[in-house]
Amino acid sequence: MEVREEEMANTVAVLMRKAPYGSVYTAEGFRSMMGIGVFELDIRVLFVDDGVYALVKGQNPAALDMKPLGDGFPTLSEFGVTQFYVHDRSLSERGLAPKDLVLDVQVVDDAGAARILESCGIVVPF
Amino acid sequence: MLYMVNKSPLMFGNLKSVLGIAPAGEPILLYEDGVYAAVKGAASQDLVRQALEQRPVYAVRADLEARGLTALIDGIQVVDYDGFVQLVEQHHVVPWL
Repeated sequence: MEVREEEMANTVAVLMRKAPYGSVYTAEGFRSMMGIGVFELDIRVLFVDDGVYALVKGQNPAALDMKPLGDGFPTLSEFGVTQFYVHDRSLSERGLAPKDLVLDVQVVDDAGAARILESCGIVVPF
Repeated sequence: MLYMVNKSPLMFGNLKSVLGIAPAGEPILLYEDGVYAAVKGAASQDLVRQALEQRPVYAVRADLEARGLTALIDGIQVVDYDGFVQLVEQHHVVPWL
């Protein structure tokens, strides 16, 4: 356990499970990703369940007086955040495919999602 | 890996979702409203019984008692706060909020 913690101490998984706009989770998760990236920690972002809606192309919340959250994710590479994973069943259950998303993501199955979470020293949920 | 669930299984999909992703053998800890999954006779009962065939399922005693939940599904392991802390110390934690 201690060896494992040392190896993974600087690795963070951000687990995104909420839809955007209905709560602050997506926006706060995004802000955390910027912060974690700035501190040069190894960050892996995993989108599961309604979290995949945060990446859908064509979001326009102008009438809600909010910023389009999806547009932010491609800019995270400037902060060193480049590892994005999306859970396959979460996409398919919502009638979505990778082409519908604002980012080139790696699509993972159940086991792949679990491996990402296991590979990180800490899981930060949003 | 200790997967932690704090939402009611009848209001939210958290429990169903985590059971799809958490590999067999990995424990689930029910706390706060998550403990409603531990009760016998609820619509979530079959889901929890299937989970128990594959993994330990723990429920926090204080949260059960606070909600008056006493008739639990066989196999649910009730833990007090000391047991809760031990589980968190022994495992890499994944909060499924």
